Amino acid sequence: MKILLLALRSLRREWHLPELRTLAASLVLAVVALGVVATLAARMEHGVLASAAELIGGDLGISAPQSIPDTFATAGRERALAITRTAGFPSVAFAQQQSQLLDVLAADAAYPLRGTLLVRDARGRQIVSHAPAAGTVFLDHRALVALNRHIGDAVQVGGRDLRIAGELVQEPDGGELVAMAPRALMNLGDAEQAGLLGVGSRARHTLLLAGEPADVRSWRTWAQSTALPQGGELITPEQTQERMRSAFDRAGAFLRLTALLSALLSGVAIALASQRYARRKTSEVSLLRALGTSRGRVLGLLLGTLGGLALPAALLGIVLALALSQGAWMFASQLFAGVPTTLPILPSLAAAGMGIAVLVGFALPPLVRLADVPPVAVFRASLARRIRRFDALYLIPAVVALALIWNLSGSATLAGILAVSLLGVAVVAALLAALLLWVARRVAPGGHPALRLGMAALARRRGLSIVQATALSMGLTALLLLAVVAPALLDGWRRELPSDTPNWFVLNLQDDQRNDFKQALAHIGANQLNMMPLAVGKLTAINGQPIDRMTFKDERAKDWSDRQLRLSWAQDLPPSNTVIAGRWFAPNPSEPEVSVDTMWRDMYGLKLGDTMRFDVGEGQVDARVASFRRVDWSSFRVNFFLLMDPTHADALPHTWLASFYLPKGNAEALAGLSRNYPNLSLVDVDALLDRVREIVQRVTGAVRWVLGFSLLAGALVLAAALATSGQERRHEAALLRTLGARRGLLRVAAACEFALLGLIAGMTAALGATIGGWWLGRSVFHIKDFMPQAWPLALAALAAAIVVMLLGLAGTRKVTHTPPMRLLRAE
Amino acid sequence: MSGGSRPVLEVRDVSKSVNGPEGRLDILTNVAMQVNTGESFAIVGASGSGKTTLLGLLAGLDTPTQGSIQLDGHALEQLDEEARADLRRRLVGFVFQSFHLLPALTAEQNVMLPLELEGNPAARDKAREALEAVGLSARRKHYPAQLSGGEQQRVAIARAFVHGPRVLFADEPTGNLDRRTGRHVCDLLFALNRDHGTTLVLVTHDVQLAERCIRRVELEEGRLEPLA
Repeated sequence: MKILLLALRSLRREWHLPELRTLAASLVLAVVALGVVATLAARMEHGVLASAAELIGGDLGISAPQSIPDTFATAGRERALAITRTAGFPSVAFAQQQSQLLDVLAADAAYPLRGTLLVRDARGRQIVSHAPAAGTVFLDHRALVALNRHIGDAVQVGGRDLRIAGELVQEPDGGELVAMAPRALMNLGDAEQAGLLGVGSRARHTLLLAGEPADVRSWRTWAQSTALPQGGELITPEQTQERMRSAFDRAGAFLRLTALLSALLSGVAIALASQRYARRKTSEVSLLRALGTSRGRVLGLLLGTLGGLALPAALLGIVLALALSQGAWMFASQLFAGVPTTLPILPSLAAAGMGIAVLVGFALPPLVRLADVPPVAVFRASLARRIRRFDALYLIPAVVALALIWNLSGSATLAGILAVSLLGVAVVAALLAALLLWVARRVAPGGHPALRLGMAALARRRGLSIVQATALSMGLTALLLLAVVAPALLDGWRRELPSDTPNWFVLNLQDDQRNDFKQALAHIGANQLNMMPLAVGKLTAINGQPIDRMTFKDERAKDWSDRQLRLSWAQDLPPSNTVIAGRWFAPNPSEPEVSVDTMWRDMYGLKLGDTMRFDVGEGQVDARVASFRRVDWSSFRVNFFLLMDPTHADALPHTWLASFYLPKGNAEALAGLSRNYPNLSLVDVDALLDRVREIVQRVTGAVRWVLGFSLLAGALVLAAALATSGQERRHEAALLRTLGARRGLLRVAAACEFALLGLIAGMTAALGATIGGWWLGRSVFHIKDFMPQAWPLALAALAAAIVVMLLGLAGTRKVTHTPPMRLLRAE
Repeated sequence: MSGGSRPVLEVRDVSKSVNGPEGRLDILTNVAMQVNTGESFAIVGASGSGKTTLLGLLAGLDTPTQGSIQLDGHALEQLDEEARADLRRRLVGFVFQSFHLLPALTAEQNVMLPLELEGNPAARDKAREALEAVGLSARRKHYPAQLSGGEQQRVAIARAFVHGPRVLFADEPTGNLDRRTGRHVCDLLFALNRDHGTTLVLVTHDVQLAERCIRRVELEEGRLEPLA
């Protein structure tokens, strides 16, 4: 207690010291950078999830083959959640001589709770709407064409005459391949009265809910602990968008990466500031030690001072982070219109914790070393330097950095890549800086005095320059990775959806229809045809143990085992699939085999050789896990979590699923074709593709917002890092002025010094960002053949040199004005 | 006053005042003196008598509130800071009580500094010669922290003489040294003063050191009094 009081008194006395203020400012900055980025990232992630919610039409839902029990709706109302009920079913519509099987969605007036339902009225205006009123129906373009009807005409659905009130332009859509044929949206009451939802109907009932995130979470927890109706399943944004999962993963990884790099930049600033503080305190500590203060007490005093500084600084950081992220959100929220705007507090608190960990981790080594200053150093300052320079203490910042990387990257691979990249950048920066300084030292003597002085200043403080160049390089690499590589990565990702991406899917194709249908498709100009067999079944046991008696850490496992799953088979490994363990099926294996996607492997904790039992139709099949596959879900090809060997799977009851590309404008020909195949379900994914493109656009915009804050944080940390050598520079400038150096000469010398420093850092960072970007693109974002472009990086390196020079000049502007008389007064 | 030689420093009626928290404070009042080329000149006085302020004015580090200072024929009060810096670079050398060596530079690099400011291409060779003259050839690669106080001051003296200044200003050059080391340093200072024909102006409160100078003046509460 006494030591703490002493420490606080010491802090009050020392508060005017620039070192201590820099340390506090660095911590505030670290917490602000971490907090703002983490808060925005949390909100963006929320926004991304909310985008998925838009596609469901609510934040969460439950679907079942029969009416959803009222208890689920009651539990929602108790939690102040908005509720809507829908039912989806196939039904044939009649209009004069035409008939067409429609995929009908019947919904109550509240539908949709999230997302937009766009309808074109008779005058051609697009209006945002809810489900149609009783007695009316909305039909999509294909339904109107197939039935040869117009808006305002009548159509008969389920024996009821309904007036077509509008054309469906855009509706929240599950995004899975469950959509059947042309779409119709009708009133739920009409469907009930027409007996379309009675016992024996093929309707799938859905209850959707939306509201405050905490209330939604509460309902979700409740629903998960409640017995779902027979055949029922929860609809969550995460699992609904299998196809977009990789897109969300990438966005999340990007946002976390941004936060991580900001944190590490702050760590560099804190390390520099605390070293400067330790240098400043050396004489005081040697005096205290000489006067009989024990090492432990000195350490207690130092840590007490640090703590006294850290707590208010962290608090200030939290307040600023919250205020800034609230302000930033007000501008950024237009990206996610309709997303609840609650300010999350937790990320800022966590940021304060991380900021303090960074402070302690990076400031501790010099301070602990400071406590080791021997009392005899009071007579000879040089003795204070004889303390071991490299000891285990230096592992602390490394461990803190690794912990941060691990914590924020959430993936061992990403953490490993980042740690190795940063270490690689540090080593390359140090080597390159040493090389350039060696060259500078040899070139400088023939140059202008200012150039020579600047170069000499760098070259003679070789060790310090290398440390500075390394720190700047690491910071700049982070910034370049984000500023140049990130948008390029996102562009590369966008390009992955080429214009001839399959835009139609066909379900329910029978064996004997395959050849005719293939020819018919070619006739109407379709290409990129890909056909896969499709069997629908359920996973019932693993290694003989019934699945409903097993427990899994991953909560998705239970949801998935409740659902109908799709099995397919192929002799050859499909494109966009990679076997990462085991082997692909040999021809004619002796027992059934299955190849499993990595998500399923992780979800169910599967190992090669495990046996999975599937109920398919009336029978069941036990298949041995022969391989694990990584699937590129963003490829928009037909992909499956589970692929079986064709030898054994061919006997399973199945239909065929096909995907193909049909140029826009040929849709009417396809409508004609579909009349010849009434059993087929044709799914137009153009709308879905457009939605994916839109979401990618939104996520790109969001990342750029977060990126802007990281750049700002990086620039501020950079300035703080440059300021740490300010005192030394002021002394040096005063001496040089006394010895007759003109102010202009000092300025040009400083410009030369910082430009070279910036150039070294810029070149290293460009190199680091190129390699890091290539690696990230390949290993984390799974973008093939991604190579960052050279010229933006070269420009960025040049810009970095100029920015570092300007920052350096701004930071040393006062230095060149140091009156030489100060040197005499400092005696 | 010593006759014959041309004055290198002429101070006429110089006063210096500053505005402190308790109003205007006169540090120097009507100071007048003359220092001739090649002579050694001591300014003595108690702490707070205005010695350092006077030294700063003589060397062109600061400007007087009133009066005129001529350094080698240049009226310092008429020059701006940049012009005075040029003058210092060409004409002046300094030795400080706290040595003021740059800690990140070796002894040799510290001595090279004034030559580098001039753009002298032979800076390294001249710095080595200067270090040899002060007996520190063997220490040229050492950093200030690795040198004793006496050695640091010898490096500072080498730096002060290396570019052949006309006037060398020394501010309590032995203030941070023990008596014996201080004597050695002074011997060196006076020997170089003699050998190079440099004018030496030193500020000290050490009477014995002052007595080694050809002429001495005493500052008392900002006023100059001649000493015998």
